[in-house]
Amino acid sequence: MLKRKRWLFAIFAILPTLAIYLWVRIIPIEEVLRLSLHKWDLLSKNKPFIGFANFEELFHDQLFITSLINTTIIAFGVLVITIPLALFLAALIHHRTRSRFAGFYETSIFIPHVVSLVPAAMAWKWIFDARLGPLNAFLGIFGVHPQSWLFDPVLSIICVIVLCSWQALGYAVLIYLVGFKNLPVSLFEAAKLDGASGPQSFWFLSIPLLKPITLYVSVVTLVSGFNVYAQAFVLASDAQGAPGRQVRVLVLDMLENSFRNYRIGYASSEAVVLLVIVLVLTLIQFTLLRERGRA
Amino acid sequence: MSRPVSKFAASVFSNSGRAALLGSVLGAGLFAGVTSASAVELTVWSGYPEMAPFYQHVADSMKAAHPDLSVKVEAIPLREHEKRVALGVTSGGAADVIELAVSTATRYLDNELMAQAPDDVTKFVNDPANYNEFFRNAASYNGKVYALPLFRGQSALFYNTDMFKAAGLTTPPKTMDDFSTYAAKLVQRDASGNPTVSGWSMRLSGGGQGIAEKFWINMFQFGGNLLEQAPDGKWKATYASEAGHKALKQYLQNVAQKNVTVEMPADAEAFERGQTAMFIRESWVIGDIATKAPNLKYATATLPMGSIVAPVNLYITGTGDKAKAAWEFAMAANTPENQLWLLDNVGWLPNRSGLDFSKIVAAKPNVAAFVEYPSTYKFFSLPTIGPADEVLTRVAAKLTDAFANPALANDDAAIDKVLADAQAETNSILKREGILAE
Repeated sequence: MLKRKRWLFAIFAILPTLAIYLWVRIIPIEEVLRLSLHKWDLLSKNKPFIGFANFEELFHDQLFITSLINTTIIAFGVLVITIPLALFLAALIHHRTRSRFAGFYETSIFIPHVVSLVPAAMAWKWIFDARLGPLNAFLGIFGVHPQSWLFDPVLSIICVIVLCSWQALGYAVLIYLVGFKNLPVSLFEAAKLDGASGPQSFWFLSIPLLKPITLYVSVVTLVSGFNVYAQAFVLASDAQGAPGRQVRVLVLDMLENSFRNYRIGYASSEAVVLLVIVLVLTLIQFTLLRERGRA
Repeated sequence: MSRPVSKFAASVFSNSGRAALLGSVLGAGLFAGVTSASAVELTVWSGYPEMAPFYQHVADSMKAAHPDLSVKVEAIPLREHEKRVALGVTSGGAADVIELAVSTATRYLDNELMAQAPDDVTKFVNDPANYNEFFRNAASYNGKVYALPLFRGQSALFYNTDMFKAAGLTTPPKTMDDFSTYAAKLVQRDASGNPTVSGWSMRLSGGGQGIAEKFWINMFQFGGNLLEQAPDGKWKATYASEAGHKALKQYLQNVAQKNVTVEMPADAEAFERGQTAMFIRESWVIGDIATKAPNLKYATATLPMGSIVAPVNLYITGTGDKAKAAWEFAMAANTPENQLWLLDNVGWLPNRSGLDFSKIVAAKPNVAAFVEYPSTYKFFSLPTIGPADEVLTRVAAKLTDAFANPALANDDAAIDKVLADAQAETNSILKREGILAE
């Protein structure tokens, strides 16, 4: 009887949280799934069911395909830059924990993560400016011709990757630092006694032991990479003056289809594709890193 | 154990006291209701930040007759405005007065989301003395009036007279060929041949449909249109044509010859800073230059063939007293005084007929290119069809890719292919919406 009462208490205690979760998480996802099978223009009362027609159209839509390719390149580009660099920087900072500058190192790397995106992106926009930007001025010292960073189809994607990585790095370093601080010291002492050098300890001990952290950081980085929008938007913003090339990304395409083209059902089918991609990639990451972690 | 109660509290909690308290509260509530009923606050949503002073001016002009009316103007950039209208109108959280391009408003009218004009407004709009047929039709839907016409976007050439003089040019370009010749003469380059001041600022990049609109304006000078309506009322894309070819080739050749480059500052800002010699834009630039670059020496000229006309109306949401006040506000925005104030102070062209622009033209001769055009001057406007924005946005994406490919400039077959591909996509959108003409 007492057990049942406790069980009921637990259920009632968690019920408000579950209800909120259902309201803000589950129902919107279910609604997106439902809308993806309908044709709806946001304004009409009618939402005719059209089956998979939205999905069929998606895969013949050049703008969607371009957005998907760009987003994938950006997400993996950010991942490839952020994870190794964050691990390396976290190791360096951890190595210098007792330095009086340790706080400065941590803060200076974390600041980009907390800085508001729009002013940060505007600063990067100036850095990448083809005519007045310091990046071209710097490269000019080495005889490199000025590059159209924000206009060239390839370079503009690289610019978005750099901006996203710069932002993601601080958070990744912070999480890795927590991981480093929780590594068992005894293992490193034993390795040292066995003659392992610093880099060897890092390679053969730190990296394997940090796999759960790497899993978490890489999932978070990849998911946020697939959700890239504001960075691409701000780098190409400015209705006048010198707008940049609009790097098409999935979220931008969804917003355009939703609120400019009034195609909510179609935009929902894009959201479903994005959801599936992120879920599959997360699953792959979990599988790979957990399996290897156990081995 | 009972607690001591004060005499005042005792009277309040007695029957008569409760009644008195209830009466006081109800009375206060009723009084508040009366006060709030007479004080009306209207919210106006605009997609042009420069329009905010105009709406405020209209509100001020209504003060004497409506001392309790307060107007809150929320003017933001157009693309963001369109998004908030889409979300606001459908969720019931939209402003009372919404400024919207006719091409965008059609969807809302299709779904009965905007209020129909009351009789007095309908009579006013339908009076040919107040608006010509084009604007009357633009304010109507299925024969009923839903809006008050306000202003229009209409294009003309802006050119820097100092730069023209320095290049030995005494008149504005008269043909589209002249535009390219002039651009080559006007472009300024540094020692290594890179352009520092563009000869002709063309819309080559950026997001949204503006690129396609500007392309359409240029193509129109060659005698072409992006979309044309068939006798059955349906539409088809017509830009994979000789006119389309000429327009795209002109863009590409100006880019290839570096008369303009995608990296260069562009549009009104560039013109105001002396970073481009000429460009095509609407009349609002006159007001913008007066504010930001008052010492700039420039002139305006009509375009070779004609111009786009993009009418913008005021729509009202809701019903009741607030809607009544909103319609009054929209009517006030259309008084001759306020319409002239709009042109004089903001620069957008008012739509009302019978306005006397002579004083403004005398004080600001650059306005003339917008209000005194040749009798043969032609106009076109964006089609009032649901997928207009989608069509233009997708054409813009194709054009942006083409502008970034310098190899196209001298490849006629490749230019035709770009246009044919884009046109096929446009027609597929029209087909999907059931409005593709045979």
